[in-house]
Amino acid sequence: MRRIGAVLCALTLAFAVPAAPAGAAAPPVRSTVLRAAMDGSGVDTLNPFLAFFNGALETFGMVYPSLNSLDPSGAPGPYLATKWEPSADRLTWTFTIREGLKWSDGKPITAEDAAWTLNLIMTDAVAGTANGSLVSNFEKVTAEGPATLVIKTKAPQASVPYVSHPMSGIPIVPKHVWEPLAKNLKDAKNDVFPLVGYGPWTLTEYKQEQYAKFTANKEFVLGPPKFDNLVLQSFKSGDAAVAALRSGQIDYKAGVNPTQFKALQADPKIAAVRTVGNGWMGLEINHNARTRSGKKIGTGHPALGDPALRKAIALATDKQTLVTKVIDGVGRLGHGYLPPAWPQWFWTPAQPTPYDPAQANRVLDEAGYTKGADGVRTDPKSGRPLAFRFGIHSDDAADAAISGYVVGWMKEIGIKLTIQSLSMTALNSDLAKGDWDLLMDAWTTGPDPTYLLGIQSCGTLPKDDGTGGNTDSFFCDAAFDELFKKQLTTFDQGERAKVIGEMQEILYAANVNQIYYYADGLDVARKDTVTGLTLGKPDADGVYPSQTAFWSYLNAAPATATTAAKAEGSGSGMTWVAGGIALVVVLGGVLVWRRRAGGADRE
Amino acid sequence: MSRYLGKKVAAALVSFLVTLVIGFVIFSLMPADPVRTLTRGRPTSEEQLAQIRVQLGLDEPVWYRFLTFAGDTLRGELGFSWQFQQSVSSLVAERLGPTLLLMGAAAVISIALGLWLGVHSGWRHGTLFDKVASGASLTLWSVPTFWLGMILLVLFSGWFPSGGMSDPSLAATGLEHVLDVARHLVLPALTMVLVVFAQYVTVMRASVIDELGSPYLLTARAKGLTDADVRRKHAVPNALLPSVTMIFMHLGTLVTGAITVEAVYSWPGLGYLTYEALKIPDLPLLQGTFIIFSASVILMNLLADLAYRFLDPRVRVQ
Repeated sequence: MRRIGAVLCALTLAFAVPAAPAGAAAPPVRSTVLRAAMDGSGVDTLNPFLAFFNGALETFGMVYPSLNSLDPSGAPGPYLATKWEPSADRLTWTFTIREGLKWSDGKPITAEDAAWTLNLIMTDAVAGTANGSLVSNFEKVTAEGPATLVIKTKAPQASVPYVSHPMSGIPIVPKHVWEPLAKNLKDAKNDVFPLVGYGPWTLTEYKQEQYAKFTANKEFVLGPPKFDNLVLQSFKSGDAAVAALRSGQIDYKAGVNPTQFKALQADPKIAAVRTVGNGWMGLEINHNARTRSGKKIGTGHPALGDPALRKAIALATDKQTLVTKVIDGVGRLGHGYLPPAWPQWFWTPAQPTPYDPAQANRVLDEAGYTKGADGVRTDPKSGRPLAFRFGIHSDDAADAAISGYVVGWMKEIGIKLTIQSLSMTALNSDLAKGDWDLLMDAWTTGPDPTYLLGIQSCGTLPKDDGTGGNTDSFFCDAAFDELFKKQLTTFDQGERAKVIGEMQEILYAANVNQIYYYADGLDVARKDTVTGLTLGKPDADGVYPSQTAFWSYLNAAPATATTAAKAEGSGSGMTWVAGGIALVVVLGGVLVWRRRAGGADRE
Repeated sequence: MSRYLGKKVAAALVSFLVTLVIGFVIFSLMPADPVRTLTRGRPTSEEQLAQIRVQLGLDEPVWYRFLTFAGDTLRGELGFSWQFQQSVSSLVAERLGPTLLLMGAAAVISIALGLWLGVHSGWRHGTLFDKVASGASLTLWSVPTFWLGMILLVLFSGWFPSGGMSDPSLAATGLEHVLDVARHLVLPALTMVLVVFAQYVTVMRASVIDELGSPYLLTARAKGLTDADVRRKHAVPNALLPSVTMIFMHLGTLVTGAITVEAVYSWPGLGYLTYEALKIPDLPLLQGTFIIFSASVILMNLLADLAYRFLDPRVRVQ
């Protein structure tokens, strides 16, 4: 036991020896490293045909090229393609592919690589797992020479330049590497490093759920990265990532929560930046769950089909309080269905629904919903009390905070809500079956809004047997569907924006998706190690345009000479640890010797 | 002996088969749509969703899926993860090392520390040492692991790394890598130790106190043995049995990892892998980890039963 005690003392002392400040733990070579927190979703697989998680998409955006890039406003820009033009009949797009670019193994990048990638996704079910819907309207893709790619579509499609872009579009892969793998694509793990690709970075090492390491492509066509290396470290807890940032273990983290943001704003070593939100948080109402043929499904409360009741719910919701209290004021009041990150599609109502509980009560009184002795109103048609299930995500703190307010506000107008805290997957399951009344929901979108608008169209309702379907709230409106088709074929962006505005007006009036707020993107970085991560100019409130990791990492530069200095100092950090442990071993030995001697005396 | 061994092994096998069935039934009953969760936020058409369901085998009837699962398991195959697109056994193999390192280090330290404190607290019960040791360990035992982890993270993240198992920006090899991993291990292991060691303190302390009035200790003292020798050579061996049971139970759960600690410190272990599987839910991965965890506990229980025969002569007589 004495020995155990001595060993424990030694171990405890060893743990107590302070390591060198973690900020000093940079690479031993004199190269610069940008250390950032990986997207919290992580990487599901490095196979670009199968991956869904944002961490994987972020990685592909850095190591595989795409036809277009996106400028900071979200408009398509040049990348592999220098020019892209639709034909007069709007059914054929011709992309001019840049010549002289090479994959990381030295083979030339040609239009054939792009044609092969897109054709594989169009023709092979496994290859279409992740991105099949993006090419579902493509009829034929051909390479007419190394510098010309021709895409023929079945129907005019305005969004073709959005199909292949970094992060959320289709990455183009080297045909000579992937062709042999195509027969058994499901088993292709794509884990031979360095990955053969092309982009601002080359993936040199990857450990699942731990980190991804990249080296810079100093000949990148859109401008070389200013750092020599990039490391994305996986953090499963946002607080741990923030602690790592504070102590200098990482340089940058995109997407902290409002509480962390406010705390970091007070830290002079940290640059805390707000960017325009690319998503919304809101409420969905099961107003009339039906199948494509109009057959009623699910257990939704029938009263929610009444527009007056939904209007009253909107009137009784104090969105400003949610912005102030739930996201600490770092966001905008929500109205339209598409977020402000993409200003070309952003729409605001001419007359926003105000917060007016008195008006909400009047609307309900006039519609015949009478209050009972318990303060809960009754639906005059079904005779059922206005008591609704309110589904929230069990792992989302914002849902929990919002639901507390909403329950109180609804009580004021005679509506009783029972909170059901469920996992994302259980909520999804209930949603698809129509077994819900009210749900908290949140969506983000890239610059092409087609998909997000599409899940509000009648075509996404389930079949009569309950299968199929991809609807988000069982919304189905003929006028909306007409406009959806029209925006797909409207090539002029200004005109398309008008059509999309009309669609958002229909959704706003229906009150089925009640958008509460658009939370700002909250990014934090160390001022002493990195600069240039934030692009664009801030608005009057100090909010920057929406950022993408592709441009942020490309433009990031070492802040001063500190990064190199830290590289030199890293060896001494480990020396400190080794020295500390050696000291502890000696002390432990002395302790054991002294205790033995003392024991002998006692005996 | 062989009859005893045979009975125990047969019971362990039956337990394992029952857990196979339970594992499949429980996870298959979960109200969930894994395909929708997997594709959430990505532009996916109805045809794509249907195709993914076919790829994952979700279009097969439940009985067929069970037979496939049971057959694969008996052949030693754990299936194919839906979210990570790789075999469950390769995923488990990747995470087993980090889990055993964290849980093993924490177990060794907490067992040693807990037993040492328990013996000395029991031997000198009622003293200030006993009160401080028992009070501190029980207080730490009551603290939620997640909360304690966060507090240690805030307090010590400048001294020790706050996440991961190694520093990826440090191309360390050899001893430098070992020291790097050791530094990353400090906070998660300390969190585990602080929460776990109390149970050994309390059990060992109680066992030692039970032995204090025994006549054989009086005899030992009468023979002229020192107080330390009486404690070490006579009291502790007799008081050790309940702690041995607990140690084996603890060893059985080592591979399960510690979801909360792994989540706080981004430790790439099996516990967090299971949590990730639950979120989808990734049924093959969940079933695979469930089998590993169950088999580990059953095996350790079997070993504990066998160890009793060597440690306690009364078991041999029965």
